[in-house]
Amino acid sequence: MLFKLSRASMRKSFKDYLVLLFGLTMSIAIFYMFQTLAQNKVFLESNAMIGSIVFIFHVGTFILAAITIFYIFYATSFMLSMRQKELGMYMMLGAKKHKVTQLMFFETFFIGIISLAAGIVIGIGMSKGIAGLFMWQLDFSGEGFEAFYLSSMITTVIFYVILFFLTSIVNAAKIAGKSVLDLLHADRKQDTVKAKGSWTIVGVLFAILLIGVGYYAMINIAKLMQFGVIIAAITITLGTYLIFISLLPYVVKKLKGIRTLNEKGINSFTLAQLRFRMMNLTRVLGTVAMLVALGLGAMTAGIAFYHNVEKQAGMIYANDLAIHQPSDADKQIIEQLNTEEENFYHYKVDDDGVYFLKNDLIDHPPLFKAFNPESMELPKSERVTEPLSKDKYVLGDMPDEWFSVVNNELNAGYYMFGDREISIVDQENFEKIKGSKEIVVVAKLDDFTAALPQLEKLEAGQLTLAESLTGETPEITGSKYSNYLAFKGIASGTIFMGLFLGIAFLMMMASVLMFKLLSSANADAQRYSMLRKIGVRKSLLAKSIYRELFLLFLFPALVGLVHVIVGMQMFSFIIIEPYTKIWIPVGIFLLIYGVYYILTVQMYKRIVLPKEI
Amino acid sequence: MKQPVLQVNNLHKTYGKKGENLFSALNHVSFDMNQGEFVGIMGPSGAGKTTLLNVISTLDKASEGTIQIAGTNITEMKQGQLADFRSKQLGFIFQDFNLLENLTIYENIALPLSLQGVSTKKIKPAVSKVAVKLGIEGILEKYPVTISGGQKQRAAAARALVHEPAMILADEPTGALDSKNANSLMETIAQLNENHDVSIMLVTHDPLSASYCRRIMFIQDGKLYKEIHRDGSRMAFHQEILNVLAEFAAPEME
Repeated sequence: MLFKLSRASMRKSFKDYLVLLFGLTMSIAIFYMFQTLAQNKVFLESNAMIGSIVFIFHVGTFILAAITIFYIFYATSFMLSMRQKELGMYMMLGAKKHKVTQLMFFETFFIGIISLAAGIVIGIGMSKGIAGLFMWQLDFSGEGFEAFYLSSMITTVIFYVILFFLTSIVNAAKIAGKSVLDLLHADRKQDTVKAKGSWTIVGVLFAILLIGVGYYAMINIAKLMQFGVIIAAITITLGTYLIFISLLPYVVKKLKGIRTLNEKGINSFTLAQLRFRMMNLTRVLGTVAMLVALGLGAMTAGIAFYHNVEKQAGMIYANDLAIHQPSDADKQIIEQLNTEEENFYHYKVDDDGVYFLKNDLIDHPPLFKAFNPESMELPKSERVTEPLSKDKYVLGDMPDEWFSVVNNELNAGYYMFGDREISIVDQENFEKIKGSKEIVVVAKLDDFTAALPQLEKLEAGQLTLAESLTGETPEITGSKYSNYLAFKGIASGTIFMGLFLGIAFLMMMASVLMFKLLSSANADAQRYSMLRKIGVRKSLLAKSIYRELFLLFLFPALVGLVHVIVGMQMFSFIIIEPYTKIWIPVGIFLLIYGVYYILTVQMYKRIVLPKEI
Repeated sequence: MKQPVLQVNNLHKTYGKKGENLFSALNHVSFDMNQGEFVGIMGPSGAGKTTLLNVISTLDKASEGTIQIAGTNITEMKQGQLADFRSKQLGFIFQDFNLLENLTIYENIALPLSLQGVSTKKIKPAVSKVAVKLGIEGILEKYPVTISGGQKQRAAAARALVHEPAMILADEPTGALDSKNANSLMETIAQLNENHDVSIMLVTHDPLSASYCRRIMFIQDGKLYKEIHRDGSRMAFHQEILNVLAEFAAPEME
């Protein structure tokens, strides 16, 4: 009988359940998405640049699980608050306590199982969609990636079934521990805010200590290795939650304590809104901060790997292109490019050798990079200064700088010319050589990545030329562009993972914030309609909403951003300059976050603000 | 002769669309209320009491007719102006208290002043003064959930009074209170009227609460049905009210 009643009432307040289901489903879908990568060892190991990638994903699973536990407990406590009044009513009408307790248990579990089924289906769909999108964008085949991955599914199911079982027990136990009257009046209770000064200081100090240890571990990752990753994961997760639990109630209480601030306009209400369900709020904000850190971190790392490709490709090249024997079409393309510097060098080529004209090289000394494998610094572009005094040099006895120029900047090597001997000769010797007189164009572009499409065409021409010179088609030409392609091939798996996870985490962040707002919207709507009755202008109510939500959005974003900026240190051992163009991912994030803030405010306003007559 | 604080002229309110189920909740009602008066509105359920109150309190718009409060015609005002008007000129007491449960009693009472931009220095004495009047100075730092219904209604009355509005509108203020608390609240409201010259309009169907008024208007089916004045003791007035209410029921008895 009671079950029938509960089913009827669940159907009645379907909208509230929909909010809950949405929140849970998103969490499950994203957990599953993460697992499709994390458990696909073959894919990870063949596509990542980081050796211990599988291990890193294990740690990621741990952090995500910790966040999820916080979130699911919070979300299901919403279920409890939604149901307790009605359950109290059943008890008032004579239902036995153990029956009601049972009912709460099964309801929570039931909702959990439904969202689990929906979450996995949606998770498969999202993995497929998002993976497909990025693979297409990155031109990355992504072999081995499967959106439908059985072992990930099993892990997700086991994890969530256990989690829902636990939360159902907690909900049931909470019901069991309350009297009928407590249940009936439960919706009018507020959290008691314990914000005693001394405990706050201890809490904040401890949180800062934890985060500090985590930061230290991330910065010194080269020394601590895997151990450092584990330390950072545990301390930063705990520290982040702790800082919200200890500091936030204190800050809001202090703000409320400032009479002139609190009693100005509608501030007392805005601040009270923040303080009223502080326990829930700290959990939500901690979760959001961690998700921002993970999502933005993954995205930033992905984009950093992307920028790294060009840097790595350009490590030994001062010039961006060296085109031998350009055709008319090639010349046209080069003319259209924005070049910072462009030089022509004459050479002759016969069956035995390639002979560069010394005068050309001395008249227009080319840029080059002195690559020193022992130095951690990026080599800078320099101009050749070593004199060429002899009449003739072969590759083996050229001064170092010139060796590097011929090999890299002029791209005169095995791929282009096969077994021919490369030499530099003076005018007199040059004239004596029988062979076709040719030219190589060397140029430095102002933006290498912007010229990729043109470079692709030029590269195709060089490949045909190499074929005609050596008799076989080389796989690469040894140019900067071919180097770039090779590095990109290696990095695109890692970039893909970063972007994929970044999007997943940011989506979960959005759903957590959304859930927090929608779940409290009903109670809030009553308060706003009351304020409207006593004569608060609608514009003022809107302002209060903008401010309240701004603070909700601001705190976690700040904390998450700091985590990311420090966390990028972890990649300094593999990325040349991890902070290059960090404003791009941060900017993208701020833009998305800002738009999301505006949308949330608009939606929330529509729900809670009373309709005008 | 005192100034009229409220002038209702030919007020008409219909619900529903034209042609379908048109329902007149108020049917050409006119009356005045003077500064410092304590007026009761009575009538059976569905007579139009709440509609009248909603329209006067600017929460609802009249279909026809005009309402002037303290010399201002509120039927021609826009939404924003109405909100400002409510916050300055009117004080509300509702049956279900309508206190904000996430604010302390002090903050609840201070809210109308904060909204008008009154400085903090002036807010505190104003709140203390009105709290003393209503006898709730001891519970100012508590939250609404922790106090009794009677105390909540006093707090709501304090919030309605704190900004010294032209008029107080009370909708069944004793509806959720026991008789002891109800009487003591009505006692306080009557004193506010007598000693502090506060104009009060009270909507109720409880004869005992109504007996504290100086004048009572009965409405039925959206029309003014009868008006009685209190000349003698409260006991006698109570009896007179009961007699009128008996008349309401009488036609059905026949």
